[in-house]
Amino acid sequence: MRHEGWLWLAACFGILASTGSATAHEAPPARDLAVSETPRLAVIREAPDFALADTAGRTVQLSALRGQVVLIAFIYTTCADACPLLTQRMVLARTRLRAAGLEGKTVFLSITVDPDHDTAEALHTYAGRFRAASDRWRFLTGEPLRVRAVLSAYGEWTKRAPGGSIDHPARLYLFDGQGRVREIYSLAFFNDRQAYLDIRALLAEAG
Amino acid sequence: MRRLLSLVLALIAVLAGGAVFAETCLSPYIRALRSPEQVMYLWTLPASEGHDFLSVIDVNVASATYGSILQRIEVDSSGNEAHHMGYTDDRSKIWAASLNTSRLFIFDVATDPMTPTLIKTLHNVPALTGLTGPHTPYAIPGRMLISMASGPAGDGPGGLAEFTNDGEFVASHPATNHPYETVIKPEFNRMITSGWVSQNTFMSPPSKWDPKDFSDTLLVWDLKARKIIQTLKGDPIPLAARWMLKANATYGYNISSAGNSIWMFRMRKDGTFAYKRVAETGSGCGPADLRQSPEDTYLYVSCFRRGEIQAWDISTPDAPRLHDTVQGMVQANMMHLTFDGRRLYLTNSAISTIDYSPRYFVRLIYVGPDGRMKLDPQFAIDFSKPPYGPARPHDMLLN
Repeated sequence: MRHEGWLWLAACFGILASTGSATAHEAPPARDLAVSETPRLAVIREAPDFALADTAGRTVQLSALRGQVVLIAFIYTTCADACPLLTQRMVLARTRLRAAGLEGKTVFLSITVDPDHDTAEALHTYAGRFRAASDRWRFLTGEPLRVRAVLSAYGEWTKRAPGGSIDHPARLYLFDGQGRVREIYSLAFFNDRQAYLDIRALLAEAG
Repeated sequence: MRRLLSLVLALIAVLAGGAVFAETCLSPYIRALRSPEQVMYLWTLPASEGHDFLSVIDVNVASATYGSILQRIEVDSSGNEAHHMGYTDDRSKIWAASLNTSRLFIFDVATDPMTPTLIKTLHNVPALTGLTGPHTPYAIPGRMLISMASGPAGDGPGGLAEFTNDGEFVASHPATNHPYETVIKPEFNRMITSGWVSQNTFMSPPSKWDPKDFSDTLLVWDLKARKIIQTLKGDPIPLAARWMLKANATYGYNISSAGNSIWMFRMRKDGTFAYKRVAETGSGCGPADLRQSPEDTYLYVSCFRRGEIQAWDISTPDAPRLHDTVQGMVQANMMHLTFDGRRLYLTNSAISTIDYSPRYFVRLIYVGPDGRMKLDPQFAIDFSKPPYGPARPHDMLLN
């Protein structure tokens, strides 16, 4: 296993260790209580449009994805903790969609918050570790000014820490087929089954 | 090897449950402050004429201006009845609510944390939401949920108003009582709102309060569906509610102001809740606020009428035991406990219609490893007279 892989594994265990667990007298309820089968997905706002490049250099314009449900997340490839966990949870959500035959109607977009360093090649390598890159899941970067405008439009501020890591809100956004934001997720509580149910609800809404 | 790593990560992700460190008494979605506080933001209203304002207080213990008010950020209107505040999930903004005019004020605290800036005022909240009397702004991802006490005319049941962090209205969610505070446990997709009275009631003198208007219920919601799924009936005016911070904790507590009691809600395995009274705060207490220690070991209750702070040992959750008290805190009201559970800040104005003493202050209580409390004799900001008053200090946030 490469060094980076061990780092990710250690980071994931670190995240898990820090989250604690139910005490002996607090047996948690069944897992499916954590989700709602009938989510209310109010229209939050119109999704700001953007055009960025994927790992093959192709332009991905958000507004060209109308008619499909889109899930976007913000990551950077040298992130040692949250980003790998976020990406893995999106893998789980995609697995559910694939099993339900719904993958063809959804698109995942992972946008870098570190355009100065995340080249198309770096993103391609990152995506490969999760077997994520496909026409249904694009990893996006671009000219730094252009990427930063997208980050600003989504409130995804960034702060670089002295050690080089990047602090950012790390939210995920779910859009319906009309290009409207219908849900915003926190990475900390992103539930892949709930995300699947939300996507399924939006697809059912579209008919 | 890559496949093995992916499988391991998948297993970890499945087991993770999504829990994080939550900062005591704030929404679990808010990025937690994990270092000693440098500044306090205090939502303040004038004791007589004038505009409501955000006090910026130096709470950096090493600072030469420790314990002094560095700035007053005034809003551009008066008569608002400044009350509670809440951070956005990314801690970049503070939403400050006003009970009387229903205005909502949004301050930028990210650009320069020592110099907040008022960046937006929502003037037409009742027209937008169909609700009045905003009490607590509570963060969810990218949005704020505001507990609103009553309907558009200041009476009747209220609800929750949902906005984007920047102040765009999203939706209103009707309630069956007068919502006061909100607590969410994301692991279980459950939200609980507590209750109090309508705007018309709390903006009138207590002698005119009709007990028929007192909420006596907590509401349990399916968070994702924004739907009430259970009503828990208890003592009247169930104010502050707190869900225990441990990941997957299935219980929490609230205080009843009119009942002088502490209640416990506990989620069963089927997702429904049991609800029972677990302690009496004593006749004449008038509980006003409830705080919890970061390890879920203690609860703190402010007794508004008796001027007392109570620390309750909840190591046996179903049987809280009074552990310690601090006396002499006249009109004790809002508290704020730091991330490490060691410093408890206290203010003493509730609402202009029920305050009974003009001796307004901010004080500090230290909490030792044994949970015993000690009042700091040095940290005492006097809001009863110039230069800082007369003004009524209410809700506090730290940065």
